[in-house]
Amino acid sequence: MPVEGGVVISFARMNRILALDVRNRRAHVQPGVINLDVSKHAAESDLFFAPDPSSQKISTIGGNIATNAGGPHCLSYGTTVNHVLGLEIVDEHGEVFTTDLDGPGYDLTAAMVGSEGTLGIVTSAWVRLLQLPETVRVWLAAFGDVDSASAAVSAIVAAGIVPTALEMMDAVITRAVEAAFHAGYPTDAAAVLLIENAGFADDMDACEAAVEAIAKDHGAISWRTAAGAVERDALWAGRKGAAGATGRIAPNYYTQDVCVPRSKLPQALRAVDAATTAHGIVVGNVFHAGDGNLHPLLMYDKRNLKQVAAVVESGNAILQAAIDLGGTISGEHGIGFEKREAMTQVYSTADLATMARVRDVFDPTRALNPEKIFPRGTRCPEVAPPADPTARSA
Amino acid sequence: MTALERAAPESVTELSDLVAGCDAVERKILIVGGNTLNGMGFPPERADLTIETRRIAGTASYEPSDLTLAVKCGTAIQALAASLAPHGQFVPFDAPRPQYATVGGTLSSGWLGPRRHLYGRPRDYVIGTTVVLADGTIARAGGMVVKNVAGYDMSRLYVGSFGTLGILAQANLKTLVAPQHSRVFLARLPEGTRSRAFAHVASLRIQPAAAFWIDGFDLTVDGDDGDDGRVLILLEGSAALLERATRDLRSALGGAGVPETRIVDAGARESFQRTVDAYVATLGERSVTYRIFAFPERSEAIVRSISERARHFGLRCEAIVDLMNGDVIARVSDADALALGAKIEAFDDGLHEIQPGAQVIASEHPHRQYLRVWGQVPASIERMRALKLRFDPHRTLNPGRFVGGI
Ligand SMILES: Cc1cc2nc3c(=O)[nH]c(=O)nc-3n(C[C@H](O)[C@H](O)[C@H](O)COP(=O)(O)OP(=O)(O)OC[C@H]3O[C@@H](n4cnc5c(N)ncnc54)[C@H](O)[C@@H]3O)c2cc1C
Repeated sequence: MPVEGGVVISFARMNRILALDVRNRRAHVQPGVINLDVSKHAAESDLFFAPDPSSQKISTIGGNIATNAGGPHCLSYGTTVNHVLGLEIVDEHGEVFTTDLDGPGYDLTAAMVGSEGTLGIVTSAWVRLLQLPETVRVWLAAFGDVDSASAAVSAIVAAGIVPTALEMMDAVITRAVEAAFHAGYPTDAAAVLLIENAGFADDMDACEAAVEAIAKDHGAISWRTAAGAVERDALWAGRKGAAGATGRIAPNYYTQDVCVPRSKLPQALRAVDAATTAHGIVVGNVFHAGDGNLHPLLMYDKRNLKQVAAVVESGNAILQAAIDLGGTISGEHGIGFEKREAMTQVYSTADLATMARVRDVFDPTRALNPEKIFPRGTRCPEVAPPADPTARSA
Repeated sequence: MTALERAAPESVTELSDLVAGCDAVERKILIVGGNTLNGMGFPPERADLTIETRRIAGTASYEPSDLTLAVKCGTAIQALAASLAPHGQFVPFDAPRPQYATVGGTLSSGWLGPRRHLYGRPRDYVIGTTVVLADGTIARAGGMVVKNVAGYDMSRLYVGSFGTLGILAQANLKTLVAPQHSRVFLARLPEGTRSRAFAHVASLRIQPAAAFWIDGFDLTVDGDDGDDGRVLILLEGSAALLERATRDLRSALGGAGVPETRIVDAGARESFQRTVDAYVATLGERSVTYRIFAFPERSEAIVRSISERARHFGLRCEAIVDLMNGDVIARVSDADALALGAKIEAFDDGLHEIQPGAQVIASEHPHRQYLRVWGQVPASIERMRALKLRFDPHRTLNPGRFVGGI
């Protein structure tokens, strides 16, 4: 949304897959292509595009690149930046330039990915495709309390097991999901872990035994292996549709997005609980636990101004808690307009000024997404503290 | 080339003071880590002070249960590996000569090793950095979390910038759980088996961690050449996976007409490392080693065309092809430095006609400075120059060493 007026460019019509190079496992796509469409198209050749944000049915490659989107499976495959091989960019003067990950010189691809459209407009991308795994197994572990579930996650990572995906949902979420989708989640557990491992059949049993043992050691009240593709898909559909399902709880939700070191997950979830309880906000947690990337969904009614204020307050308290635990203010959704003032809580003036140097080169007049990422008062070259740190919206 | 005056600061603040002092009076700095990749890049256009990073070393913090670690830039890659190994972890940097190569040098040079097709690139393990900019600013980026989209990805930008945007003082890394087992396969290729061996290895379902076709590099790399060279293949994983991969590989090579394979279990990692070391192994002053990034399907044709070119000039050509990523390493040499010097510039011109991207990665020959060591200038060079200008307006850091003389 243009905060101070301006032009909005839509990529809805630049939505073609320009080339699929099966032999070299790459695709050339326009920015308006829907994420899921790339994998659907590539599946015919036994390939897929690894970044899978839960919004993958509606989000675009351009948006994924601009936010360096993650998703459940980036635990083992890495985020979007690991899967972009080169870009075509239009700069603020309308000039076109390209980046090439394998070419010599600075890694301009890395500079562009995650820059939220502030360094250039992506007009096409070469993305890496991976071979579809030969075996996929999905497990569901249920816990009697959130603490045990989060401790189990930390223990799985600490044991050196990195499954393909390791997601957590609390009871608020599983009940909403079950009401909406009948996906197969237990509704009597305080928290569940959705765990997937993809790879070779030879390694599956060992992985299953190890994860199951840790889950049970941490008090899992039930453990189940999804019976087949249909059951797996239903569980994933429930997980990816979780945010939408919360419509049954409250008319609106606000997703916070923070990331903490994985061993700090239990503390982080307790902090989320404290921050929301203090303001009388109902919270549902559905997130990428294996990465330490939390997504508390704060439920509210936007017509109720007191609730809106409470959401803002508890959202900020969660940010601060993540920072205090050695974490960061965004794991995958980006800074945008909303969190730009909080940038000064994680970075020094010098750190931000260094980022601004990159902006000076690619968008010296601040024509592109002018209100994003940088706190107010950071026009080059000086970075001043925020003018009004209290003015932040949900 | 190095400057006569040398400094080896012990801390980031000392480094920052040194750099700021030089920048203020326009003294030029050459940055040196383990000196293992000094054969890459142009010589500096001027160097008034050589800064060695080796004393800014050691682990700053390590949380094995988070699979993250913060390491100072002068730490040797082998020392880094040694601190991770007791916890069964590693970082897949695959640097040549890891006993000398530093974390800072390996990342700054943008080194790409043979296992990246499986484990990813070194840049994808960097979750945070501390750098000293040309004006002495100490700037941090990222943090200790494995996912972070707060602001620009400065860390990945510093990786591969050859020290021309800033000096990497610390890198925060994501670590990986080390594979349980490693196994190396060696096989001589009889005449006429090369193409099929390439194709069969490429189509293996369980991808090897690394697979090389080698021609030459006797004594440096294990195994002996058959008429069509030899292959050295590294498998990594659980015992169960290796068992299946071994069967698959044997039948793939057998199907390509390779009768015999030798398995190395004890010392497999060392055997692999010797191959990586060979990437930058020189023959004194009488060799130049090129690297070409290509799609695997093209690499055989590239090797053939380079060897023909070399033969035309009366140069010996030895090669390593990374079959999984497609990289071609070609070492051309002559009987002595003088003989090589008489031909190498003409060879370099000819090579770049057929392979514009060819880069020099190792050479001690004095004529190295006249070669197109970075290959063709990238299309976005002007934006790269602008970035350099904004970060280092006085051209204080490694001036002239990078692409296009940046
Ligand atoms: C229910 C739900 C679940 C989600 N789950 C995840 C998740 O699991 N992981 C995750 O990472 N994110 C998730 N998100 C966040 C979001 O969907 C992703 O970040 C996604 O990548 C945004 O893509 P988009 O096409 O919607 O982009 P938009 O929202 O349209 O744009 C996002 C940003 O990219 C910029 N931009 C868009 N196109 C271009 C272009 N061509 N060039 C330059 N800049 C451009 C925009 O200006 C904007 O700053 C979720 C969101 C929702 C609503």
